[in-house]
Amino acid sequence: MSQIKRAVSLYSLQDKYARGIMTLEDLFSFLVDIGVEGVEFITDQMMQGTPYPSEGSLKNWDRLIEKYNLKPVCNDIFINTKLYKNRVLTTKESVKMLVDEIKLANRLGFDLIRLVSMTPPEIIEPALSTAEKYNVTLALEVHAGMSFSHPMTQAFIDVMKKLDSKYVGLVVDTGIFCRRHPRISKNYFLGLGMNPEVGAYVDNIFDQGLDPLQYFESRTGNAHVFPEDLKKLFRSETDMIYAIFCSGYENSKFEILDDYFPYIKHFHGKFYEMTDDGAEYSIPYDEFIAYLTRKGYDGYVASEYEGQRFVLFDQPIDDLGQVKKHQEMLKRLIQSTSR
Amino acid sequence: MFDNYIFTENTFRNVESDGKLSGFELKTLIPYYRGIPYSMIHDIRVSVDGNPVEREKIRFSADGEDWFTLSEMETVTTYKWEYGTQGTIYVDQPGGLSAGKHEVTLAVVIRVAYIPVPFEGVRTREVIVNLPKQEEITNE
Repeated sequence: MSQIKRAVSLYSLQDKYARGIMTLEDLFSFLVDIGVEGVEFITDQMMQGTPYPSEGSLKNWDRLIEKYNLKPVCNDIFINTKLYKNRVLTTKESVKMLVDEIKLANRLGFDLIRLVSMTPPEIIEPALSTAEKYNVTLALEVHAGMSFSHPMTQAFIDVMKKLDSKYVGLVVDTGIFCRRHPRISKNYFLGLGMNPEVGAYVDNIFDQGLDPLQYFESRTGNAHVFPEDLKKLFRSETDMIYAIFCSGYENSKFEILDDYFPYIKHFHGKFYEMTDDGAEYSIPYDEFIAYLTRKGYDGYVASEYEGQRFVLFDQPIDDLGQVKKHQEMLKRLIQSTSR
Repeated sequence: MFDNYIFTENTFRNVESDGKLSGFELKTLIPYYRGIPYSMIHDIRVSVDGNPVEREKIRFSADGEDWFTLSEMETVTTYKWEYGTQGTIYVDQPGGLSAGKHEVTLAVVIRVAYIPVPFEGVRTREVIVNLPKQEEITNE
């Protein structure tokens, strides 16, 4: 059996929380009910006052962790570099924010922080001694649309390799392994009035084994410039927005990660739509788990549901059902995959 | 994408102060998946029956206690609009909104650390104002 461990990012269930349908405790209870081992948490999302939450919030967290016995696996944080309208934060200001987040992560029992893509790489080294002192690893998210080819991701990787510390690494989001464009996104945009030919154009890119960034680059010399034959299909702003958003799904080979073990600290098991036969529509999780197992990966894969984004006004969101199905799939694949 | 969080149903109301209608308010969730300081609220736009409300007439509060104009909010870094908290948008308009049926559109724009262009959520709802009881019903 593979040694991979399972977690759920509460990002997946954000809609239930935002609308006051489920409290943080309800979410913890749900995770335990479906047999989850670890929890990933966006402090800015579900702990008020972050990075300076009240004593009451901290005690409530301690109580929930003890009562439900979930392991705090990864703390997702954001440096608000655009705090002010008229300027970007200085490095010193950003470092101070990161230091405060490290202390909070440690207080909450996390030993891993996920830094969002585009986090300025120059703040890592000044915060490293704090990360060591508090035993918290700083890992940049490698996310589709901003993954290995992105200059900011490469700049972070340069810093990571230079520092060569076990406290600096990567969190990889499996949205970089989309073999098909998510169907629910296409259907959502069709519902908003997208020209069906734009949807078909993007699907065709994936059918060729490519992704939009690669395809646009090959056609126009710039991954962010659309080919003329795509632009001719634009009838409304919705068509153009879809064309921009489709770059947020990449179609990379798993081997793109070969050079990055053991810098890889954690995975976001991104999913958009669990199908009735227990698979993810876009991402081949069977191949992914087999790949990680061959690599000897024994960390966590945290379910991160993104399907709640593609829901028209007032339509229901089956986030609980989708997370349960994703976890069942992971469990089945982990148990049936041998090294 | 985040339009679903904008302009919570049944939250429009005319506001009375000192015995007179001073304006109207409506509530909304943040068009994002986490809380941010008020200074990252890039813009709030309200229009009634297609007519934009003047920017200077708009106030925002997430706690319902302390209110800020859009230009004041640019420096407000210690108040946070938390995820899952209904923020209130108040429009200073003596007499409130007149009786009858109106189309009210709310747009909330915020800055996000890792995306170059600000995020925007928009929603239009039909609002029915009944005077003099100032009761209202909102529909799709």
